[in-house]
Amino acid sequence: MTLTDPFPATDTPPHRPGGSGPVRGDGTTTRTRARRRWRAMRWVVGLVLLGAFVTLLLALLRPPSSDTPYAPDAAGPDGGRAVAQILGRHGVHVTYTRSAERAASLARAGTTLAVLPGDTYGDDLSDADLDLLAGTDADLALVGPSDASLAALAPELTWGWGGGYVTTSTASCADPDARAAGTITSAGGGFLPSGPAADRVVTTCFPPDAAEARTGSYAVVDGTRRVAVLDDAVILTNAHLAEAGNAALVLRMLGRHADLVWLVPEADRGADASDGTGASALLPPGSGAVAAWLLVVAVVAIVWRGRRLGPLVAEDLPVVVRASEATRGRGRLYRAGGSRGHAAAGLRAATAARLAARLGVPAGATPEALVDAVVRATGRPAPDVHGLLYGPPPPDDAALLTLARHLDDLESEVRP
Amino acid sequence: MILTWRAFALAGVLTVAVLVAPTAATVIVATAVLVLACVVDVALAASPRDAVLEREVVPAAVRLGGTARSVLTLRNGSPRALRGVVRDAWVPSAGAGDNRHPLALPPGEAVRLTTGLAPTRRGDRAAGAVTIRSLGPLRLAGRQASLPVRGRLRVLPEFASRKHLPSRLARLRELDGRATVQVRGEGTEFDSLREYVIGDDVRSIDWRATARRGDVVVRTWRPERDRRVVVVLDTSRTSAARVGDQPRLDAGIDAGLLLAALASHAGDRVDVLAYDRAVRARVRGASGTRLLPALAEALATVEPELVEADWPGLVGQVRSLVSQRALVVLVTTLDPAAVETGLLPVVGPLAARHQVLVASVADPELDALRADRDSSADVYDAAAAERVGLERAAVAGILRRRGADVVEAGPDELAPRVADAYLALKAAGRL
Repeated sequence: MTLTDPFPATDTPPHRPGGSGPVRGDGTTTRTRARRRWRAMRWVVGLVLLGAFVTLLLALLRPPSSDTPYAPDAAGPDGGRAVAQILGRHGVHVTYTRSAERAASLARAGTTLAVLPGDTYGDDLSDADLDLLAGTDADLALVGPSDASLAALAPELTWGWGGGYVTTSTASCADPDARAAGTITSAGGGFLPSGPAADRVVTTCFPPDAAEARTGSYAVVDGTRRVAVLDDAVILTNAHLAEAGNAALVLRMLGRHADLVWLVPEADRGADASDGTGASALLPPGSGAVAAWLLVVAVVAIVWRGRRLGPLVAEDLPVVVRASEATRGRGRLYRAGGSRGHAAAGLRAATAARLAARLGVPAGATPEALVDAVVRATGRPAPDVHGLLYGPPPPDDAALLTLARHLDDLESEVRP
Repeated sequence: MILTWRAFALAGVLTVAVLVAPTAATVIVATAVLVLACVVDVALAASPRDAVLEREVVPAAVRLGGTARSVLTLRNGSPRALRGVVRDAWVPSAGAGDNRHPLALPPGEAVRLTTGLAPTRRGDRAAGAVTIRSLGPLRLAGRQASLPVRGRLRVLPEFASRKHLPSRLARLRELDGRATVQVRGEGTEFDSLREYVIGDDVRSIDWRATARRGDVVVRTWRPERDRRVVVVLDTSRTSAARVGDQPRLDAGIDAGLLLAALASHAGDRVDVLAYDRAVRARVRGASGTRLLPALAEALATVEPELVEADWPGLVGQVRSLVSQRALVVLVTTLDPAAVETGLLPVVGPLAARHQVLVASVADPELDALRADRDSSADVYDAAAAERVGLERAAVAGILRRRGADVVEAGPDELAPRVADAYLALKAAGRL
């Protein structure tokens, strides 16, 4: 329904939210609203900015470190940062990689390629990776190799039968590195030369306790290239580097050349990841654009559905707890405490009071007077009535229920 | 800023373009089109803050159970057409029905929008803000503002017990009639002399007048008039408890209204007081047709307060209200703990000066609890209910011994029972 203009168009009623009469606007302007919003939000904005600043500061100040075991940038007990830093201080350039392809491409002649265990023991390098590494010209340093790595990269060696607990063993060979170290600690099984031609090129050192002769925790294969093998990678970790002659052996083993490629194989590489593309290669082209657009559509939907038509109106409500709650609570207390005596006394007293009122027995009368009156009214035997009204407390809940029903029966017989 | 379903639909149409040519450029162009359309629409929408609003409630006061209308007059004060939706918000208990109204208003024109109100609770029901959502010419997007506009609906007590009034008025007239057949008792007052007719009580023959006239003349009597009745509503914490589906106080208000209506018809003067630690409402000196509206208006906004009642203070209020003997009706509850510490010490002195009637709102749920014998758990509850009943009966007995009458009934029964008690007192001439 449209009316004719009740107010002249020129007249602007003043803003009077508390008074009667027409109201125009809410007394705010764009500027005051912006200021009010800023006042309400400034603490939140300030806290978010502060948080972002602190996060940034921590990220910048914290030295790069990782949690990967045996990695040259891992500062934890099972990391290899101590070795890497000492090597770096002595002029060895350490290149850290987790990719076998990259390691193979970096490992030219005149460099050392150190292969360390990945996260999963046993199959951290695929056969293709091992072929790539076997084809390089660099000197190899295998630390804690898996069975597959040992077979592919140092076929002249097999695992010995020692190990299982940490032993300190003494150098027992002419290798200068081993002589320099003197003693090492190792929990590995040691290596044995295998095959007919092995004896000529293999030097084993540091025999573990009670192991077969010629077993060694450290072995060197001097073939077309030098391959040094150490049976326990724990030796080079930050936690154990300083024990016995571990540091001397590891530093000489890894620091033979000025360039060191440090390979910790990626643990989670599946067989199909070797094609070099991720899951995105499986999606059709342009899915990124469609996803971005769907995000825009989602924002539109959120704004469309998210804004309600004005705020909720609050009001004070009356008490919602029922008055009988106190009585129910009392009943629960009786029940929880097993107060059958109290409960039965309440039921009996109420019945007695109603019977007395009905039979005209005065309130202060003796129990006997009331029992007499009830016996006259019902014809029941007196001990029966007396037991009901003034008997002992019921022994259990079933007896209490029976008593309550019998009291009801008695009352129904005395209806006036 | 708000968006409508049309903006979402536009985004859906643009999705087709993005699917046909899924490149970054398409996405950027589509986003630009969408944003530009919405921004232009918002810029062209009329400002909701330029609307001139006035809210009127017709009628301004309504009895609980009745309906009212909230009439919102909205004039478009902006130079652009105002289209969109307006919401006339009220608190939930005001029972506003369909309160969203579509708008299509040329500049300078006004419209009157009516929202039905069916309040569900006594008291002042406040209006909320008026929210105007103004859309642009494309109706893709718009602006929204919630503007405070005054509005209030006063919901008067329901007075559900008024259905009992005709039968009680009939009993009041019977009381009058009985007086003409000469029931003479304490407190009734002399009305007139008339000739003896057979059947009249010979004890009411006025021998002196008979001697003067030479004819047998009897005196007639009628019930007392112009007595004082003071109804005191206890609004302390015990009145806040929920009995049935309303607070105890509402049942007490109902009883007070019926008693006031009856007493004013009987020619007595009624004062009503709502009190806990301070006077929450007071009606005095109103009579005749003005009494009930004044009472409803005064008691409409009385709410239970979560404080302990100040009974000595209440007695002082009663003393300042009436000096001669009066019927003082205390509408409260016989909660044993509250009565022992509060009402008991003062009821004796009060009953010495006035006729005191204590009207207590009982909880019908206790009767249901008391009769329940389904399981042993129920029997414990029944025992607790019996115990509470005995305690209340004991308190009522103490009050009676101190000279007060006690009426205890459920919320629906209390009003007629109090009226009956009043009629009984009047018939006995004890006012």
